[in-house]
Amino acid sequence: MSSVEITNGQKKFRCAVLSVVKHAYVPHGVAAHPRFDLVVVADDPSEPAWVHERNEKFAAEYSIPYVKDVEVAIRDYDVQVAVVSSQAERHCDLSVRAANAGLHVVQDKPMSTRVSECDRVVEAVERAGVKFLLWNRNFLPALIQARCEIEGGAIGLPYAIHVDFYFSKDSGPPKGSRKAGDLPINWLERQIEAHSDGSDGGVGVEPMGELKIEGIYPLAYLRMLTGVDVQRVFARTTSMFHQVNADNDVDDLATVTLEMERGIVGSLCIGRIGAASHPDIGEIKIHVLGSEGALVISEARPEVSIYYRDQPAKEFRSVRVAIENDFLLMDDFARAIDTGSETVLDARAGRAITATVEAAIESGRSGTPVEVDAAVSA
Amino acid sequence: MGAAMTRLALIGCGKDTPHCISASRRLFDARVVAVVDADVGRASHVARHIDAPLVKTSLEHLLAGHGDEFDAVVIQADCAEHASLAVAAARGGKHVLVDSPLALTVESADMAIAACDAAGGRLMVGQSLRFAPAQQTLKERLSSGKLGTPGLLRIHRWEPLASGDGWQSGLDVLREGTPFLARAIPAIDLANWLFETRPTHVYAVGCKQSSGELESPDYFQIHLGFPEGGMVLIDEARTLPRGDAYFSLSVIGSMGAAYADDHHNMNLLYRGGAPAALNANHGDLHVLSQLEEFTRAITEAREPVIGGADGRAAIEVAIAAAESMQSGRSAVLSGDNYELS
Repeated sequence: MSSVEITNGQKKFRCAVLSVVKHAYVPHGVAAHPRFDLVVVADDPSEPAWVHERNEKFAAEYSIPYVKDVEVAIRDYDVQVAVVSSQAERHCDLSVRAANAGLHVVQDKPMSTRVSECDRVVEAVERAGVKFLLWNRNFLPALIQARCEIEGGAIGLPYAIHVDFYFSKDSGPPKGSRKAGDLPINWLERQIEAHSDGSDGGVGVEPMGELKIEGIYPLAYLRMLTGVDVQRVFARTTSMFHQVNADNDVDDLATVTLEMERGIVGSLCIGRIGAASHPDIGEIKIHVLGSEGALVISEARPEVSIYYRDQPAKEFRSVRVAIENDFLLMDDFARAIDTGSETVLDARAGRAITATVEAAIESGRSGTPVEVDAAVSA
Repeated sequence: MGAAMTRLALIGCGKDTPHCISASRRLFDARVVAVVDADVGRASHVARHIDAPLVKTSLEHLLAGHGDEFDAVVIQADCAEHASLAVAAARGGKHVLVDSPLALTVESADMAIAACDAAGGRLMVGQSLRFAPAQQTLKERLSSGKLGTPGLLRIHRWEPLASGDGWQSGLDVLREGTPFLARAIPAIDLANWLFETRPTHVYAVGCKQSSGELESPDYFQIHLGFPEGGMVLIDEARTLPRGDAYFSLSVIGSMGAAYADDHHNMNLLYRGGAPAALNANHGDLHVLSQLEEFTRAITEAREPVIGGADGRAAIEVAIAAAESMQSGRSAVLSGDNYELS
């Protein structure tokens, strides 16, 4: 069988899922596009049992094999695309190995917990001439509308942009609930345990705050809507809500002042603010000031509000609709492969966002503004 | 027997005077009896609107000729004159409500505070943002503990580039500009009030977006860090096209959150084409509530809720923000003072 079939004049791509330990939204998103077929799940044999269990479960869902050897799977299953959704600290290593094998890469967020790892990915994908897509939400309907308005000149040249990105979920026991003699909560154990109710976030050995886990989304909005890099940041960070964050000294609430190219000013408010703090998933808004106007966008829209008798207290009343983000991301990825163009969030962009997050965390610790490391180290 | 009527003198006719005119008609136990402005035509115009019998061109003239015909002053003059007018009124035995900012320097603020203390009169600093219905509700919920410890305050405050204010043309407003301190202090004061202390860290950025010839930035962002991890972002622009302003405020607490913004409070008007968004605002209630608080403090012989110390604290933070903006460094509270780090 040919590795690349022709459908309506377009190539189809065979995809290997390299580890799938989270909620599988990335491989599900890839599979939602008709030009991408998941054909194998693979991971390293040295991974712990819980990782293999999740990989096996996902493979069974798609009736595809699970191979406990990444390189063997790439070699034997004639794949062109790798879909990486492992623990965060392994993201880049798997992506580099895939790129070295000549595969295009779709990778889950965060790009990495370290900028140096992102540098390895940039180098590998550029040397191999493959495409890289960091998963993001830039194609949500409200974002598309915002981009159209800005690119159409509706508010003139943007000079300030602000994003609120609140995620109103709990994350285990609230801060202050640990009793004397209790051990601090282990980050990874908490994430593994929380998988069943969907409250995990930042799966991996290394503890991560909200800036690291979710910061990619709003920072990708800023980047898409302005087209510029962040050069300098000043940030305040704290663990305000959740005991697991306090125990592991990582933020669950942060504010960042962003000084960008062309003198554009920005800011980010981000937090996992607890289920009590919003009737739905959380307030996500974008404020843009331009030379000739301004724009206020609610990321959740369009949405439909649904209320009924005996509605469960935790059911979201407002439901997002018209979401084609997954399909459009993969369409963009396919276009990049077909035409040689860059993806909506390529390796260099992902690396720049990781560097911004790293600088913000350092600023939060030091109380001083910090320059963003712009240079990709060879 | 009814409570004594407090007789007010309006000193200076500024951008908030139309609100003051509207609100003063609804005061129950106070009335404006005098209007002072260097422009006698403007003063007379305001006086006619509120049936004030006295019109003067300076506070000095009013005190000299009619000192026993009013009890308190409401200072709405140019902010550079706020402190000196407060000192003069206090020395004349009058209670003082001075619009924000109390002064443009800490030293001037201290002089105004000292003069009011020495005279035994009340000094209130006008911060009408605090009295807006949304902020009052939010503060009440915070104080009751329903939201837990305040963690994050986010304010967007956007105004038209040059809307004019009824007394000045839009061009004049643009040309003269408003000092950075005067624009920054209301939101800073709001932050201090909600967090019940002043910030430990101050960082600010800004730009002259509309024209490099402006006296002060028409856009700025102030980032404050409070004790116990509290944080504030103030985004303030005066660059919108002529038309409505925009205000948004949200507070994230350790146990809950509050969202108050024009984005939610929008009505839609359909008249063909794209619908227009109509702001469902709260009118002049914020100004009325502020005047009522001032006059009640006088009649009840108590300190008003916003005193000189509040005004002084906001000035200190605003000056730290100005220095941060100029230097590109953050200012850190060290003892009683802010120092650039």
